[in-house]
Amino acid sequence: MHTLWTKISAVLPKDEEQFPLPFGAIVESSVVEMLRRSRRQLYSDTTSASRMLTAKVLLDFSWEKLNTGTWRHVDKEWRRVYSYGCLFKVAALCRGDPSPEDVLEALRTCDMGLLMGAAIMEDVLQVIVRILQGEVRMSTKGEDSEHPQVKRIKMECPHVPVIREELAIPRVKRPSLESFNTNYLLPLKPLILEGTIEHWPALNQHPWSIEYLRSVAGCRTVPVEVGSRYTDEGWSQTLLTVSEFIDRYILNKDGVKGSGYLAQHQLFDQIPELKADIRPPDYCCLGEGDEEDITVNAWFGPGGTVSPLHQDPQQNFLAQVVGSKYIRLYSPEDTDKLYPHQSQLLHNTSQVDVENPDPERFPEFAKAPYLECVLQPGDVLFIPVQHWHYVRSLELSFSVSFWWS
Amino acid sequence: MRWFGFGFNAFGQIYGQDKLLEGECFENEQEVKVSSPTECTAQEDRSDCRLKTDYQIRASWSRRASLYLNGDSCVCLSGFVSNDSCGNPVKESRGCKDAIISESYLTLAFSDRLESWDLQKKETSPSWSMEIKTDPEISGTPLNLPLVPGGYIATKTPLYRSLSPHLRAKSLALSSEHAILLSASGTVYTWGLGSHGQLGHGGLTPEEEPRAVEALWGMPMSCVATGGWHSVCISDGGDLYVWGWNESGQLGLPSRGLRKATQQQISQQQEESPCRDASTSTAEEPHEEVFISIQAFPALLDITPSCEVSTVSCGCRHTAAVTTTGDLYTWGWGDYGQLGHQTLISSDEPQRVELFKEQQMRVVDVVCGAWNTFASVVKEEVAGP
Repeated sequence: MHTLWTKISAVLPKDEEQFPLPFGAIVESSVVEMLRRSRRQLYSDTTSASRMLTAKVLLDFSWEKLNTGTWRHVDKEWRRVYSYGCLFKVAALCRGDPSPEDVLEALRTCDMGLLMGAAIMEDVLQVIVRILQGEVRMSTKGEDSEHPQVKRIKMECPHVPVIREELAIPRVKRPSLESFNTNYLLPLKPLILEGTIEHWPALNQHPWSIEYLRSVAGCRTVPVEVGSRYTDEGWSQTLLTVSEFIDRYILNKDGVKGSGYLAQHQLFDQIPELKADIRPPDYCCLGEGDEEDITVNAWFGPGGTVSPLHQDPQQNFLAQVVGSKYIRLYSPEDTDKLYPHQSQLLHNTSQVDVENPDPERFPEFAKAPYLECVLQPGDVLFIPVQHWHYVRSLELSFSVSFWWS
Repeated sequence: MRWFGFGFNAFGQIYGQDKLLEGECFENEQEVKVSSPTECTAQEDRSDCRLKTDYQIRASWSRRASLYLNGDSCVCLSGFVSNDSCGNPVKESRGCKDAIISESYLTLAFSDRLESWDLQKKETSPSWSMEIKTDPEISGTPLNLPLVPGGYIATKTPLYRSLSPHLRAKSLALSSEHAILLSASGTVYTWGLGSHGQLGHGGLTPEEEPRAVEALWGMPMSCVATGGWHSVCISDGGDLYVWGWNESGQLGLPSRGLRKATQQQISQQQEESPCRDASTSTAEEPHEEVFISIQAFPALLDITPSCEVSTVSCGCRHTAAVTTTGDLYTWGWGDYGQLGHQTLISSDEPQRVELFKEQQMRVVDVVCGAWNTFASVVKEEVAGP
């Protein structure tokens, strides 16, 4: 029986010499000195407190760099320093005889590195996550009986809006690439593709459910949107584990008011097990980008989550895996009737509350033509680039979006 | 005049150079995080700077520069510097009138020229230099780095940036993403990134050119300072105005993030020592408090008991102010002891550094590094009968 530290040290370089710390000129030599100290501590005899302290200095320093300027302009070198800080902290936590809390903290630290850092040492954090997850699963085995009530929740019938036929988004069962290209992609017309994701493991082999997500990703830290919609005053983002998110916002265990939404998160890059359950739609090959250029996002939340009417700069396939969603689409030709926000940050978002519009503030809105649908499990909605969309979940829902060009 | 330092000391920038000379580094928490004001020491005996007592301090994240202006003026560096130059006068600095230090550059102002030296390379000539044609002391505007004739020295390349002469700049403070300028008439201008409200114009959008902070119009200011994402200024009447990001309580206004973090810290400590009185942990939820995360307009900050502020300085995420009565108040991020309260607890309220009071010392100046604080003190005169 191997201890956790044996497993982790096995994936780390054998000694200091085989542990390079290559950084560009942007990382000052004082910071490199800190990295070296952390590395030395990894292979020498010192206290856990000293190791944690040096890792903290690295994390605090790179955190400041990650928060300086816009995220897009943060130099990747600083994201790498952050990942090294996470690695050294994980190593300090897992050394010796870590408590279950230490292991969870190490897992959380790896996730922070995966979320905010950049890949280092052949994605060593991803490798360590797998080791740590195995450790957590071993220690929680037998506790599964804790959630027997889970299966009985959330099965009440959702109130499904009636879709008028003349406004319904057309549905086509497995169109050929050519017919999709000519009739929908080129003229930028919305469409629901039926029968194109039945083969996903997420819909058959191991159908996604609360229990399944908990078992695969329960202890993983993810960003969660708190507040009913991102345009609201009190809206914020927070970091929770998948299990905490499920307990708090889906099962409402501690009677927390307000709603939470695991929205627009690249969960599949973070958790490869879930990535194996989905496939990029074949129709994406009609675009100019490669498969790596497709941005895949997860949208997981309880009934009642709302994405306000907004537009995105890429083509979108929205695949519905669990539950149903009411969706409304407006053409970019009608943008003048949709009252986008004036501010730079929200100029791609409408000010109108779509299902409860204020006719006095937004008189033109009622004149804008639209299409609508209730997206069911197995459906894939094609949202053409720049098409305005409004999304409300009708029940517990898990969708996957593919942005492509 | 003596200087005391507290906060981040992982490179020995506050005290303990001799240990570094022996090739050791700082690993213990008490050495890296100096939470109690500690007198700054220069390199013993090896340095002729040691003989002089009157100096000023400039600090970056990993270094402290001591600027000696009396007699044969020079700069001595401590902290992350090569062993042989540690605490010794930087020979290129002989005769300088002012100096500033960033993580990469040491900029020196002489009466006839300016020089920026790259601290990461051993070079024999400065990375950047400029001649000064009119002696600033004769022209009546003394040098005040980072201001230089016609512009200022930035923290990143290109080092020299020009400024409009119409601004009549008197002093300037820089963060890595924004700038705050004080004009001769007491008007405050800001520019750069504004995503955390640090420009004080009410929005979060960037400004490419210096823009007057309208909310402060009609109130002449006497001092400006900037942290990583916040800005501070003092009015002629000694009032303190703050704006920007309050993530660690650096504005001295109620910070939700900070309260959450401290509560966690406290409950952790209680778990570790269960015998402590449990009633302290169940303090009643105070009445609905208004928390400030981002303050996009200047806000007047009250220090209790009410006092006049004479000078102020900001670290990345903390703030330190000296009052006309010689007290030092600090607030914001405290993880490295940079508040000097003999704890590592952050604070979203200004709190007095008690040690100086206890030892009858009067604080006359304060200079913050990124994660540390340096205060200069004089012994309080004992009032005669």
